[in-house]
Amino acid sequence: MKFKFIENLTSDVMFEAYGKDLKELFENSAIALFNVICKISKVKTIKFVEVEIEGENIEDLLINWLQELIALVDIKEMFFSKFEILEISEKKLKAKVYGEKISPEKGETVVKAVTYHNFKLEKNKKGYTTRVVFDI
Amino acid sequence: MKENLKKLNEFEWELDKTVRKEMRVKAKIIANDKIMNAIENEAITQLTNVACLPGIIEPAIGLPDMHWGYGLPMGAVGAFDAEEGIISAGLCGFDINCGINLIRTNLTLKEVLEKQKELVSALFNKIPCGVGSKGKLRLTKEELNEVLLNGVNWAYDKGYATKKDIKSTEENGCMKGADPSKVSDLAKKRGCPQLGTLGAGNHFLEIQKVTDVFDNNMGKKWGVIDKDQVLIMLHCGSRGLGHQVASDYLKIQEKAVKKYNIWLPDNQLVCAPVNSKEGQDFFAAMKAAVNYSFTNRAVITKWIREVFEKVFKKDWEKLEMENVYSIAHNIVKLEEHTVNGKKKKLYVHRKGATRAFPDMPVIIAGSMGTSSYLLKGTDVAMQKTFGSSAHGAGRAMSRHAAIKSFRGEEISKNLLSKGIVSKATSWKSLAEEGPLAYKDIEEVINSVHGAGISLKVARMEPVGVIKG
Repeated sequence: MKFKFIENLTSDVMFEAYGKDLKELFENSAIALFNVICKISKVKTIKFVEVEIEGENIEDLLINWLQELIALVDIKEMFFSKFEILEISEKKLKAKVYGEKISPEKGETVVKAVTYHNFKLEKNKKGYTTRVVFDI
Repeated sequence: MKENLKKLNEFEWELDKTVRKEMRVKAKIIANDKIMNAIENEAITQLTNVACLPGIIEPAIGLPDMHWGYGLPMGAVGAFDAEEGIISAGLCGFDINCGINLIRTNLTLKEVLEKQKELVSALFNKIPCGVGSKGKLRLTKEELNEVLLNGVNWAYDKGYATKKDIKSTEENGCMKGADPSKVSDLAKKRGCPQLGTLGAGNHFLEIQKVTDVFDNNMGKKWGVIDKDQVLIMLHCGSRGLGHQVASDYLKIQEKAVKKYNIWLPDNQLVCAPVNSKEGQDFFAAMKAAVNYSFTNRAVITKWIREVFEKVFKKDWEKLEMENVYSIAHNIVKLEEHTVNGKKKKLYVHRKGATRAFPDMPVIIAGSMGTSSYLLKGTDVAMQKTFGSSAHGAGRAMSRHAAIKSFRGEEISKNLLSKGIVSKATSWKSLAEEGPLAYKDIEEVINSVHGAGISLKVARMEPVGVIKG
């Protein structure tokens, strides 16, 4: 399983994402995010944007990654459906994100922000798990 | 925490500061019994968290639409001493100046019903809404800076708003002291293409009919006179720019909390001392986002007028489409209030709360498909809630649960069976805002009216709904 949504907040959306390594964890978290923003299965991978993100630690890096993707929707006016982490360390990542221009028929909802509520990022036997809450 | 509530009267509840050792002041909730039953225990615990913050002035206020939020519940007010208190990005919320414009017309329900579908479609096509729509105005950075600085005055200069629109907007459409240089480049990049867009989530545009006028004098003053008169309600905010300002300053204030050694009961309540750089920078950036949002609603108001002109083939002035009022829901303001008999400057944080100053308009939106209200603020609100009232119905069910429980197509059909034409960019967005996902608006209104913090002027019901 790449991710699952968890239901227990009155306002918002919480999900858990999984990955055998950090690369997969970050990619799967981004897929969860765009499952909320748009009809991700219909979003073609026509164009790509290169991103470089920094953080103070791995938790901060994940939050900054998702926050940057939310901002990119507004700035590039694109929906994204494929995420390729090219390089990742505890404090920095480079990625290519693929998608197409926004369109009303492929849109779902605006994610306002990534919150710190109940946030976790854990290493376990199978790899990594993160739990993230979006304000929508 | 709920078991510690003491009922003061039919509409007021109190949590003494002894219920938690860290509480500096008591908390108060405005709610009748039905509403109190619907308020989550977690939201009440969150209210006690706010009562623990430095410089808070008694009491921390919960309003009847209160529900779980980040740090502070939505539907809450925290007022802080202007010298010893804090100013908090966390207490303002992500959607800075999410708010409402209520626009009047002289059209009757009959006239509008004849053009109902055409009107809803024309509005839906004219006003960019939903996450997938592009804005029509593409501001340059310089233009954006002017919007951030001057708010609705910019819209007036560009022909989007009238002098009357400025006067009928909270803060006259422009919070003084906004500083665009405190807004990040990323926030500005998000703001440039989005001015004049509705957004999604709980944002909407409704055509409403007046069902009752309770206060004829006030109604007359604001141009809401007759049963079956048609009004328009616009609910939206500061879009990506405001979300980014909030996110940026949450990070900045997270560091400030460590720097100034502030103890927090919940990390979401990040804040900074009122007179620190981190506090005042946020205040100046927030004001810029507030101005952006007032302008956003002013621009959309202009387009609404244009649609009505086209559909009814009359000038909007002839249709008397004046803005009744534009109010803010998520905002921090420096205001003077009487505390223990003395006038005091306070930073009033309203999160999902409306200003309710005496005889000023208070607009409370119901959930999609249910009623909304126009009310007036009161002296009682000044005494009890730092001049504040509720902002909406308040969620009772998560968006995720709503999507699982309701189908957008069915909601649209149900609305139609009640004579309400709806249009949304996504079925899912209709489902997540399903009327049953919210508290009963009538009980919210009974609570604020009963407590006297705002009094009913008129009740409206929707006839057309546009959702992002």
